[in-house]
Amino acid sequence: MSNLANLQLTDDGQLRHFLTPEGLDRLMLERILDTADSFVVVGNQEVKKVPLLRGRTVVNLFFENSTRTRSTFELAAKRLSADVLTLDIKTSATSKGESLLDTLQNLRAMHSDMFIVRHSDSGAAHFIAEQVTPDVAIINAGDGHHAHPTQAMLDMLTIRRHKGHFESLSVAIVGDILHSRVARDQIHALKTLGCTDIRLVGPNTLMPHAIDSMGVTTHNNMDSGIAGVDVVIMLRLQTERMASAFLPSAGEYFRLYGLTTERLAQAKTDAIVMHPGPINRGIEIESAVADGSQSMILHQVGYGIALRMAVMSMAMSGQMQQRQALALTLNPSRLTGEPRP
Amino acid sequence: MSIIIRGARLIDPSQQLDIVTDLHIKNGHIETIGNLTDVHAASEINAKGMILSPSFVDLLTYLRDLNQIQKGSIASETKAAASAGFTHLCPSPDTQPCSDAGSVISMINSKVVAAGFCDLLPVAALTKDLKGTQLSNMEALSHAGCIGFSNASYDIDDNNVLLRCYEYAATFGLKVFVQAQDQQLGGGHMHAGSTATRMGLDGIPVIAETLSISRHLQLMQHTGVRGHFSQLTSAAGVEIIRLAKAQGMNITADVGIAHLCFTDTAIEGYRSQYHVQPPLREESDRVALLTGVKDGTLDAICSAHQPHESAAKCAPFAATATGMAVYDMLVPLIQRLVDAGDLTWTQAIKALSSNSATIAIGQTTSLAVGGEANLTLIDPNHSWILNSSNQLSRGTNQALANQQLKARVKLTIKGGHLSYTM
Repeated sequence: MSNLANLQLTDDGQLRHFLTPEGLDRLMLERILDTADSFVVVGNQEVKKVPLLRGRTVVNLFFENSTRTRSTFELAAKRLSADVLTLDIKTSATSKGESLLDTLQNLRAMHSDMFIVRHSDSGAAHFIAEQVTPDVAIINAGDGHHAHPTQAMLDMLTIRRHKGHFESLSVAIVGDILHSRVARDQIHALKTLGCTDIRLVGPNTLMPHAIDSMGVTTHNNMDSGIAGVDVVIMLRLQTERMASAFLPSAGEYFRLYGLTTERLAQAKTDAIVMHPGPINRGIEIESAVADGSQSMILHQVGYGIALRMAVMSMAMSGQMQQRQALALTLNPSRLTGEPRP
Repeated sequence: MSIIIRGARLIDPSQQLDIVTDLHIKNGHIETIGNLTDVHAASEINAKGMILSPSFVDLLTYLRDLNQIQKGSIASETKAAASAGFTHLCPSPDTQPCSDAGSVISMINSKVVAAGFCDLLPVAALTKDLKGTQLSNMEALSHAGCIGFSNASYDIDDNNVLLRCYEYAATFGLKVFVQAQDQQLGGGHMHAGSTATRMGLDGIPVIAETLSISRHLQLMQHTGVRGHFSQLTSAAGVEIIRLAKAQGMNITADVGIAHLCFTDTAIEGYRSQYHVQPPLREESDRVALLTGVKDGTLDAICSAHQPHESAAKCAPFAATATGMAVYDMLVPLIQRLVDAGDLTWTQAIKALSSNSATIAIGQTTSLAVGGEANLTLIDPNHSWILNSSNQLSRGTNQALANQQLKARVKLTIKGGHLSYTM
């Protein structure tokens, strides 16, 4: 855990990579949310650009398809005035390791400043950060079933903007926890931000081993699971889960775990409903709920850009500081004002 | 060649021997044990403070040759084995080409003999090309010197095939070696537990092992084949073996040194050096494995040495190759267990030497006077740092690289000759 935190921070505790909220302290997560809050305003301005990343090169390194996440990162980078290069790289199943390393070496040689990484293997962003440190800042845009920290943090931003705090909240996360890269990060972030009642709702086939060790409670029954909660986070269900025998049918899943108006009535009256999108109407969530007044789904999309702008600018700034510190160590004359040899 | 080793602590579990004295080797055999102050030999070694034991027998190793030279060669890996105190090796049959034919076994053997560090105790493939469909020529392979048959880490799905494998092996009194892990349930990358869940890595549940052990035990009982279970990982697995032995089943079992020393939390931070199959499990499992070794439920400790080139371990965790290069750190790992009070040297030597020899060839190793001199001399106080300049295995996947280690093999003697000296 500590080594994850260390890898993400500069020597003086600034964010330099954003791989997972795990290991980051409350102050850091709040700083991310505060910065994101300030960027929400930028999105409402007529001119939506700020010059924070001018002259910097951001490479979208997507080893796995994701139009939505990729576009929001691209938009966030452009609003920060960065030069953006987007690469879709299909991994070869036989020699993933070599080809990934080779790709990284090449991109590094192009003097990129930041990689936005999406990969189907858990730990891929971590691996890439280890390989490219200290030259390039890494933002994890989703790795395997491990983490999707910008999605989790935009969910935190949504909760904070609409609930104001985390301490006394009850939050239910419903659905395919097992395959969700967001759920783990949501749990880490919620706990760090002070939330103590986190409930996971779903059948045993979609519940990871020993998940209660993360300080959550598990519920097989949707009605009791969401009873009295302030926030309901619905997870997307991949349709291939039926073919791989995790579930019998979409119909049965919706009957047991779909969020309907009647079911939502079990939660607090002012409960908010969130979903990372894209939503499967009639499988995870009823249209009336998705489009209803308690739904935050479209807000989440807007906050997503602000949140990504926040972590990109913070990590870039941390990375630059670290590079300058390193340059000073290697060439102290720059500090003392002595002429260079 | 005449060698006198003076003042070592002689440990021989087969004779309940544990004394500090001298030992004289002459003409390939143990000539005398006792005070040899007045006797002299061409080579004399002051072994005060060291441990002298029968040499070790490895029930599972990977020598990589023939077609995986980038990972290791028979010369490099058998030398590394000798430096860990081994004189006899049972390589896994999943060689390239597969060890399912006498010609392959004899090619491997000729390379092992040419290298001269160890002797081969070949375990051949149970099915042709390890595909789990057709029996290998077991009887002929046993005549060619194979001491047992294994399908390596490839589970045989078809119960008909597995039943016939065991029936056929039982017909000729042959022994089968089993790595018990259900193939479907074993599809993950590490132990299914809280660490895997947090890291988002697919888990391998304990039931992948216990279900498989139970299945193999039923078939062994039904066919009467002699069975040996390799590399147990879990407390529940140990308990099943314990019960089966208590019921009188003629089975044996071993554990890999890594599973006695490390747990799944070592993988924290996606450390691919700890990516092994079967997976490292939890502390409670590690403790149960140690108890198993101490109470004899687990007869032997194997190395499961698997050298890799650096690229094989340099990728996102799931894409990295499984296995650990073990030979260069085996004795320091045992010393750690001894220092922690988890195991005594006598228990370790029993598991690495006398018991493993009995499993492989039906007779124990020993320090008996008159017997062939196959010996390991260990300096338990030698302090050193393992690094690329002193490692002998070609594998770069050394989990303890650049760490301060304690204990090292001083010399290994095979057939009365020095096969390794520090």
